[in-house]
Amino acid sequence: MASRYDRAITVFSPDGHLFQVEYAQEAVKKGSTAVGIRGTDIVVLGVEKKSVAKLQDERTVRKICALDDHVCMAFAGLTADARVVINRARVECQSHKLTVEDPVTVEYITRFIATLKQKYTQSNGRRPFGISALIVGFDDDGIPRLYQTDPSGTYHAWKANAIGRSAKTVREFLEKNYTEDAIANDNEAIKLAIRALLEVVQSGGKNIELAVIRRNQPLKMFSAKEIELQVTEIEKEKEEAEKKKSKKAT
Amino acid sequence: MRRSGAPRTGPDAGAAAMAATFFGEVVRAPCRAGTEDEEEEEEEGKRETAEDREVRRQLARKREVRLFRRQTKTSLEVSLLEKYPCSKFIIAIGNNAVAFLSSFVMNSGVWEEVGCANLWNEWCRTTDTTHLSPAEAFCVFYHLKSSPSVVLCQCSCYVAEDQQYQWLEKVFGSCARKNMQVTILTCRHVTDYKTSESTSSLHSPFLKALKTQNFKEPPCCSLLEQPNIVHDLPAAVLSYCQVWRIPAVLYLCYTDVMKLDLITVEAFKPILSSRSLKGLVKNIPQSTEILKKLMTTNEIQSNIYT
Repeated sequence: MASRYDRAITVFSPDGHLFQVEYAQEAVKKGSTAVGIRGTDIVVLGVEKKSVAKLQDERTVRKICALDDHVCMAFAGLTADARVVINRARVECQSHKLTVEDPVTVEYITRFIATLKQKYTQSNGRRPFGISALIVGFDDDGIPRLYQTDPSGTYHAWKANAIGRSAKTVREFLEKNYTEDAIANDNEAIKLAIRALLEVVQSGGKNIELAVIRRNQPLKMFSAKEIELQVTEIEKEKEEAEKKKSKKAT
Repeated sequence: MRRSGAPRTGPDAGAAAMAATFFGEVVRAPCRAGTEDEEEEEEEGKRETAEDREVRRQLARKREVRLFRRQTKTSLEVSLLEKYPCSKFIIAIGNNAVAFLSSFVMNSGVWEEVGCANLWNEWCRTTDTTHLSPAEAFCVFYHLKSSPSVVLCQCSCYVAEDQQYQWLEKVFGSCARKNMQVTILTCRHVTDYKTSESTSSLHSPFLKALKTQNFKEPPCCSLLEQPNIVHDLPAAVLSYCQVWRIPAVLYLCYTDVMKLDLITVEAFKPILSSRSLKGLVKNIPQSTEILKKLMTTNEIQSNIYT
């Protein structure tokens, strides 16, 4: 039945599916994993870096992008679609600032992106955007926010979420490990993001990219060294936990 | 029923069962009525000319499955398993299954190449098999030097429906079918998996097994439930084994990443404990390292998805 109703975006199937939107969600799964965590005073975005070809300039392959000074997003899915969405969002952020003289709230820009995506699910001759995005930032009221959008144009606020390949595994890890203790301070939140990514990343810390926004501070990208330090700390903690376990057992 | 010679008008003329869809495309709907008129019409218009026959012959020749030895470039006179009788035949179909056998089985022993299949179809256009790069589609057969009754097949090319029978004949032929056990490994996209459970509870990749009646061992994972079916070459081999009463088991990995992927390949690991693979795998940590290297060398630098 699917083959008759999956050609055009503007056609519902008899059982109410918009197959093109659902197929767009499959395109998202082809992108590498991105994880977002909302802490008490920090928001963290971690992504699995794609390995870059030898002759390719690494700086041009970025999964985490700033939309404004206080908002940034990570995406998973079609690179070109992401570029278009990010450009539109950036223009909207500045346009909003010029018009109402206030920076956008995270929810506003998320709603803008989600509305844009929804428009493309209802237009003839166009296809949905094949990306999901994790949008993080701080509003003027100082409250940290994390939102996730998907190709259908829906958006929700999350405490922690993952998108892209193996997102399910990461989400389950987060459901088990996202506790009040785990986000007690900034460092713990960062460690939680890295631990979540290490569950699915193929070659350890070398393939992780991390960005944080702290209250009233601009976006900070972690260098490879800083990430390595965190990874070594996490591995030490793991070893100690295992030693404790084996001691208890004997 | 219309009589022949009556004019055909409109999209619903006759029982030719053509339908126009919402988009104006004309779709031939399956019609079991099988009208007499259609046959007559076909005869009038479609008499085969000599040219048609020649084209058909050339196409058949092009689509022939050829088995030969790469070193000597000579084709095999008998079927592969007649020339190299085996007690264990392990077939990997698809790039993830092939990577699994390459890293875990082929590295624990010395394997000698005994044959290579050359075939052409719309999806697999390898004509020159002398200079194959690892990324190209191919179908190669090996046997273990220390125990020549173990034969392995690495098949990463697509074998079309009309070529499957030829492939089976050229590989199995009239070989001795007693004391032979066949293991097939392959992958399928998880969107093909039909289940009444919610798909959000599916943890892909996961393994499912399908076996022939004569396969008495317990498989390493749960059996494939109905209404799921197996397709293409794995189905052809399994059907062949069922007909000829050869014990055979197919391990099917449902994954959401069809290209070469570490997690998908590792999903085949439970098979290492099965009887057919047990004696063949020696160094698992080293195999994991080799697998990681294989991933990085074969990574297609596609920038479409980030």
